[in-house]
Amino acid sequence: MSDSISTITRGSHHRSRRDGWTWFARRYGALLPMAPGMLFLVLMSIYPTVYSLVISLFRWNLSDPTRMRFGGWHNYGLLLTDATFWNAVIVTFKFVTIAVSLELVLGLAIALLFFQRFPGDRFLRAILILPMVVAPVVVGLLSRYMLNVQFGIVTFVTEALGFGRVDFFGEPDLALGTLIVIDIWQWTPFMFLIMLAALQGVPEDIIEAAKVDGARPVRILFDHILHLIRYPVAVAVALRLIDAFRVYDIIFMTTRGGPIDVTQTLSWQIYDAGFKSLDIGYAAAYSWLMLIIVVVTVTLVLRLLLNEQASR
Amino acid sequence: MLVGAAAALALPGISMAQDQVTLQAIFLPATWGVVVRDVFAPQYEKETGVKVEVQLVGRDAIHEKMATLFAAQDPSFDIFNLDYSWIPEFGAGGHLLPLDDLLSEDDKADFFKTALDVGSWNGTLYGLPQTIHPHVLWYRADLYADPDVMAAYKAKTGSELAPPTTMAEWLQQVEFFNGTQFEGQTIYGWAAQAAKGFGNVHTWLTFLYGYGGSAFNADFSASTLSTPEAIAATKQWAEMMKYMPPGSSAFTYDDVTTSAQQGTVATALQWSWGAFAVDDPASSKTVGDWQFVEVPAVEAGGQSHPHLASWVISVSKYSKHGDEAKKFTAWLETKANDVVQASLGGGDPVRSSSYANPTLTEAKLEGSDALRFRRYDVVLKAMQNTKPRPFFPGEEAWETVVSGPLQAIQLGEKSVEDGLAESDAAVNRLLAR
Repeated sequence: MSDSISTITRGSHHRSRRDGWTWFARRYGALLPMAPGMLFLVLMSIYPTVYSLVISLFRWNLSDPTRMRFGGWHNYGLLLTDATFWNAVIVTFKFVTIAVSLELVLGLAIALLFFQRFPGDRFLRAILILPMVVAPVVVGLLSRYMLNVQFGIVTFVTEALGFGRVDFFGEPDLALGTLIVIDIWQWTPFMFLIMLAALQGVPEDIIEAAKVDGARPVRILFDHILHLIRYPVAVAVALRLIDAFRVYDIIFMTTRGGPIDVTQTLSWQIYDAGFKSLDIGYAAAYSWLMLIIVVVTVTLVLRLLLNEQASR
Repeated sequence: MLVGAAAALALPGISMAQDQVTLQAIFLPATWGVVVRDVFAPQYEKETGVKVEVQLVGRDAIHEKMATLFAAQDPSFDIFNLDYSWIPEFGAGGHLLPLDDLLSEDDKADFFKTALDVGSWNGTLYGLPQTIHPHVLWYRADLYADPDVMAAYKAKTGSELAPPTTMAEWLQQVEFFNGTQFEGQTIYGWAAQAAKGFGNVHTWLTFLYGYGGSAFNADFSASTLSTPEAIAATKQWAEMMKYMPPGSSAFTYDDVTTSAQQGTVATALQWSWGAFAVDDPASSKTVGDWQFVEVPAVEAGGQSHPHLASWVISVSKYSKHGDEAKKFTAWLETKANDVVQASLGGGDPVRSSSYANPTLTEAKLEGSDALRFRRYDVVLKAMQNTKPRPFFPGEEAWETVVSGPLQAIQLGEKSVEDGLAESDAAVNRLLAR
């Protein structure tokens, strides 16, 4: 009797364990193939992100790791009351707003030009995208030499045209504008490529129908085409916004945040705090504030773009 | 002692025992780093069997690399070439091996005291000096000796043209030279590092020290840049900046060198060591034309206090071959190698005895009677009164902070008083961090 009871108990135990595995496999089996990816994400992205949040709450200079002290919101408080932080916010917004807006407009304009086939268009298209494939640090170096006020080729041209020597990187009124022009030169091709791909996806019958209705090209562009390509435009703008906020390489190679503080962007300030001052807690707090600024800005811009287009 | 250590290393037995060791070193890509990589490291391997792999890395990158490696207690690199202003930072952090045992009493007497001082923190030597180069005033001797130029100067100022001994004379001269033509070329008054970052700070410090100013109070707890001395020094510096070539607000060491090589400036405030570049016929139009004097004093008969630049060699505390790394460091700076290093163009010597060595003092420029190291007398004088950068663990951050307001002053965007007050506030804020 007792034997049969124990057999039944053992059998039900085996069955319930088997059922448990079945249930687990059914419920979570699909996630198993994703596990390596998730693990990678946790190690490479989530952990560093959380770690940076933690160290942003510490007063910690990298030159002396033994003197790491918890400071709570100390770093954030210092930053938010620091005029140089707010200057960097303004400089960054000027750079991002002007550069990305002009890249969008120019990219779309060039894409509309290339939307129609013409002799040599493939070759020209390849030439047009060249700046985009050059490393930003190389672009910075080239710009530094080309615009050098002593021996740069641009200086030669401005002198020949009677404008004299222009110190593009040294004049406070010109430096940020010069960086914006360099960024536009390099990244307009990116906008152009996305816009061209988007335009090529627009159904031709819609455009033909609009033409039959007597719509002029400008009206077709604003009433139909822009609406149809709103998602690719939004993606392109979002990518460029994120990238423009992080601008660093060109500044490193040219102005190094100067003259004075006119090209001191958020990412440059973070570099200064983290790698010049080695104030890693302060730099982490700076990075978090920058992240918040970027996320909020990109979200608002996307919402604006998509709502604006959807309401048409 | 350094000679003894070097001799001991040459013994076959030691060589056999050490043939497995490879030291990893980072040096600045200046001539002294190149000489270590191309000449000394291969020679050391031949003599001892110890291989030294030298990477040449830019100044800021060395600082970043050291900070991150040390934070991780990473033993990847054994030896570092340091700007001396990082010694307090990394010495206080406990990341460097003490090097005091490398020096005998003879060595201590032979090395420049100031060079040893800036290699030390809290009385412990963490950086063996490799090169020193105080600011000296460079002037174009051919311009200063040209009868037409001398006559024009006399006519304009009523004074004889001679290398300036006071700040007022120097200002008068750069004003006179600025924009003049000489042998078909436009000449500007002077050149010096002026770029934002550390360049303008390094130049300005020579003015600050000359006028008796100081960047900090005695215990480095407060910035003292609004003193009458600092204001007077900065006014002189800002006035002088008007007589530099176009684009000078971005001038780095290389730009000053290029201006001197191309003969576009009459005077320059530059590191003594950099003189080798103007005597290089492959890149210079002014070979043998530059002469050197001490930086002008504020008043006649007074004494200037030029800002000191110096690079030292340190050994990482996390090195797995600390003793070997120390031996190589000591060997690099023996009496003999200090001279060899200088003769190969690797920076000005760190031992006073080298300045009397005929190998250096009698060396002449190729195809010329001009002495190759004609600056040495002036360097020796400058070393008696030179002053280092503010010597405290936050120096690198400090010069980054003051550089911005100083540039606002040099570009005329802020008054001297406002710019210095802003610097004071920013530095005090940094100290509070």
